[in-house]
Amino acid sequence: MAAAVVASTARWVRVRAGVVEAARLRCQLGGSRFGRLFLLPSAAGDVAQRRHVAHFTFHPDPENRKYVIFGEDVAFGGVFRCTVGLRDKYGKDRVFNTPLCEQGIVGFGIGVAVNGATAIAEIQFADYIFPAFDQIVNEAAKYRYRSGDLFNCGGLTIRAPWGCVGHGALYHSQCPEAFFAHCPGIKIVVPRSPFQAKGLLLSCIEDKNPCIFFEPKILYRAAVEQVPVEPYYIPLSQAEVLQEGSDVTLVAWGTQVHVIREVASMAREKLGVSCEVIDLKTILPWDIDTVCKSVAKTGRLMISHEAPLTGGFASEISSTVQEECFLNLEAPISRVCGYDTPFPHIFETFYIPDKWKCYDALRKMINY
Amino acid sequence: MAAAAARAWALRGGLALAWRGPRGLAGSAARWQQEDFSSLDEKPQFPGASAEFVDKLDFIKPNVISGIPVYRVMDRQGQIINASEDPQLPQEVVLKLYKSMTLLNTMDRILYESQRQGRISFYMTNYGEEGTHVGSAAALDDTDLVFGQYREAGVLMYRGYPLNLFMSQCYGNSGDPGKGRQMPVHYGCKERNFVTISSPLATQIPQAVGAAYAAKRANSNRAVICYFGEGAASEGDAHAGFNFAATLECPIIFFCRNNGYAISTPTSEQYRGDGIAARGPGYGIMSIRVDGNDVFAVYNATREARRRAVAENQPFLIEAMTYRIGHHSTSDDSSAYRSVDEVNYWDKQDHPISRLRHYMLSRGWWDEEQEKGWRKQSRKKVMEAFEEAERKLKPPVGFIFSDVYQEMPAQLQKQQEALSRHLQAYGEHYPLDHFEQ
Repeated sequence: MAAAVVASTARWVRVRAGVVEAARLRCQLGGSRFGRLFLLPSAAGDVAQRRHVAHFTFHPDPENRKYVIFGEDVAFGGVFRCTVGLRDKYGKDRVFNTPLCEQGIVGFGIGVAVNGATAIAEIQFADYIFPAFDQIVNEAAKYRYRSGDLFNCGGLTIRAPWGCVGHGALYHSQCPEAFFAHCPGIKIVVPRSPFQAKGLLLSCIEDKNPCIFFEPKILYRAAVEQVPVEPYYIPLSQAEVLQEGSDVTLVAWGTQVHVIREVASMAREKLGVSCEVIDLKTILPWDIDTVCKSVAKTGRLMISHEAPLTGGFASEISSTVQEECFLNLEAPISRVCGYDTPFPHIFETFYIPDKWKCYDALRKMINY
Repeated sequence: MAAAAARAWALRGGLALAWRGPRGLAGSAARWQQEDFSSLDEKPQFPGASAEFVDKLDFIKPNVISGIPVYRVMDRQGQIINASEDPQLPQEVVLKLYKSMTLLNTMDRILYESQRQGRISFYMTNYGEEGTHVGSAAALDDTDLVFGQYREAGVLMYRGYPLNLFMSQCYGNSGDPGKGRQMPVHYGCKERNFVTISSPLATQIPQAVGAAYAAKRANSNRAVICYFGEGAASEGDAHAGFNFAATLECPIIFFCRNNGYAISTPTSEQYRGDGIAARGPGYGIMSIRVDGNDVFAVYNATREARRRAVAENQPFLIEAMTYRIGHHSTSDDSSAYRSVDEVNYWDKQDHPISRLRHYMLSRGWWDEEQEKGWRKQSRKKVMEAFEEAERKLKPPVGFIFSDVYQEMPAQLQKQQEALSRHLQAYGEHYPLDHFEQ
C-alpha cells in the first residue's frame, strides 16, 4: 500500500469528524446545550468533502488489488458513512455487504487473510462484537502461534465504532477493549482524532498481526480536522505525551483524551498543578515505558476510561505502574471510570467519567 | 373499479413511496432494478422471496423418512453397481488410495497404543473414515486449500505428509513444524496446503469461505475444501459459513463427515432434520449425500463439486455418511454409550479399506501376498518413524514466547528473560534435559 504513488502535490482535505469539539460536546451534556460549535471559522465548509478516515485507507491503493472491506451495510456507505463511495470506486468484489453475522464476518476475514489477502472487517458497533469473540480470541489471536508460524491472519483488521455517543445506552455505547486486552496475539488500537485515526488505521492494516481498531463514534460527526490525502503511518504501541507536566500524569485513550486535556487546563488554572497528558493509543501491546517514565517523574497517576471500573484496562495500567514505580508514587493511583453497571440511557450524563469527576480525583491526589 | 385503481396506484406510486424508507433513494435503488412493478398480476412482490401465492393452509413436512438418497458406486463387497459411474481410476491411483488408508490405519494403531503407554499425551484415530479422507483428497488439486476439523489425517497422508512429521507433531518434539505448541493430531502443513488444525469446532468453516473468496479474487483456479463432522455442523459458525459461501459466491466444497456420533451424542440428539445435506438447499447450496465408505463415490462427488465450484463460483455441500469405528479419542471409552456389536458390524461388513481391497482383488491389482508384504512394510515404516520420534528432544523452551506476534513485543521479551533467570536458579526441578537448549 505504501508503495502506491499519489499526486505529487500534497493536498490537505478538510475532514468532518471532530477533535476538540467532541470534548466540548461531551462536557456540556446535561448542562446547557450549545449544539455543534465548530472551532475553525470556515468549518461550515464543503458537504462534498464529508469523508471519513476509512476512505483514505483505500485512496492511495490503485496498485494493490488484494484489499477487501466488508461487513453489514458496508456497500451503500455504512451506517456511519465510513465506506461511502468505495464500492463505486473499487468495485463490488472488494467492497461488499455480508449477511448479518459477526462470527461470520470475523471468521470470513480470518480466512481471507490466511489466504494472503488483506481483510478489513467492519463490525457495526463494538457492542456487537461478542458473537465474534471466539473467532477473535481462539482463532485470530492464536493462528500464528499454534501453527508454528506456518499460517497467520496478520492481514486482518477489524474496525468497530466504540464509546459513548450521548444516547447510545447499553448497546450502542460500549468500550470492550478490556475483554480483548486479556488476549495475547491481537493488537487493539483507539484513535483520539481524525488525523490519528488515519495514521493508526493504516498502521493496523499494514501490521502483520490481527488488529482491532475501535473508532470513537462520537467523533465521527463532532468536528473538523485537516488530514493529509497521502498515506502516513503512526506507529503502534507508542503512547504520545500530548503535553508535558511535572505534578501528575493523566492517561486516557479515544474520546476521553479530550476530557483529560480539559482537566489538565482546569488543574493549571484552579490549582496551579502541572499535568502530563498521555494518549495511550494502543491498548495491546501497550507502551509501558512511556507511562512509567512519566510517573517516575510526576509521582502521581490518574487513568480514565468510559468502560466500567472493575476489570477495566485502567486496572492493568495501575497494577503494572505500582510494580515498576512503587517508590516514585506520592499518592495511590486513581482510576476515574464508568460505574460497574451496564451503560444507561437517560442517565448517561451522570454515568460518564466527565471532567468534574476527573478534576475531583486529581484534586484528591494532589492533596493526598 | 376503485379497487383496481387503488392497486394501480399502490404498485406504481404508493409502493414506491413506501420503498423509500429511511435510507431514501439510495436504499431502494438496487431493488428498483430487481422487480418490474408494472404488472397487475397477483404475484407476491416481497423482496425477501420469489414464489407464488397459495390459499390453502399447509405446513411443509420435513421429509425425514425418505430423505436425501445416498450416492454410491460400489456395493459393500466392492463391486461396481453401475459401470458408467466407475471413475476408472488408473491402478497406481487406486493403489495409492489403498496404501494411504492402510498406512494411516497402521499409524493410528501404533500411536493410539503409544498414548496408552504414556509416550504421547493424547491421540485420535481415524478408523472407519479413511475413505472419506482419501477419496476426497484424490479428487482435489494439490494446490487446493484444506481446512480440517481433526479427523482428516488421511488427506495429509494422501498428499504425502511424511510419517516422521505426523509423529513429531504428536510427540511435540524438535521436529514438529508446529513448534510443540498444540496437542497431538493438530497437524498443519504449508507446502501441502493443509491449514493447521485447531480444537474449537466449526471455527474453520467461515474461515474456509473467506479463503475461497480470496482465491476467487486472485483468479487462482484453486478450490477450498472444508471438513467438519455432523456435530460441528450444529455450531453457529457452520450456519455462518454456509450463508456467507452462498451469498458471496465462493468456490468452496463443504465436506461433512457424518459418522454417527459426536463423542457420545448420537445423531438423533444432534439434529432432527434430514442430516446435514438437507440444510444445503436452505442456503441455496448444491448438495449431495454420499456413501463415505465408498472411495469412488466420495471421489466422484468431490471431483464434480470441485470442478463446478471453481467454474461457477458457488459452494457445494457433500455429506459423506460413514461410521466412527474407534473411540472419539484416547480420553473416550465408547463402550459406555454404544454396543460392541454395532461397532463390529461396521468394522467387518462395511469398511472403506476392505471394500476397496475387494475391488482391487477383483481387478487383479492385489493379492494375499502383496497384502502380507504391504502390512509388514507399512508397519516397519511406522515403527521406524516412531522410534525416531521417541529419540528426539523437545524444542527449545524459548518457543513459548515466539510467534505470539510476528515480532516479539518488549513485554514478552521481559517475560522470556524472567523464565530464563528462573530456570537458572530452579532448573533442577524442570525436565530441561528433554528439551533442546
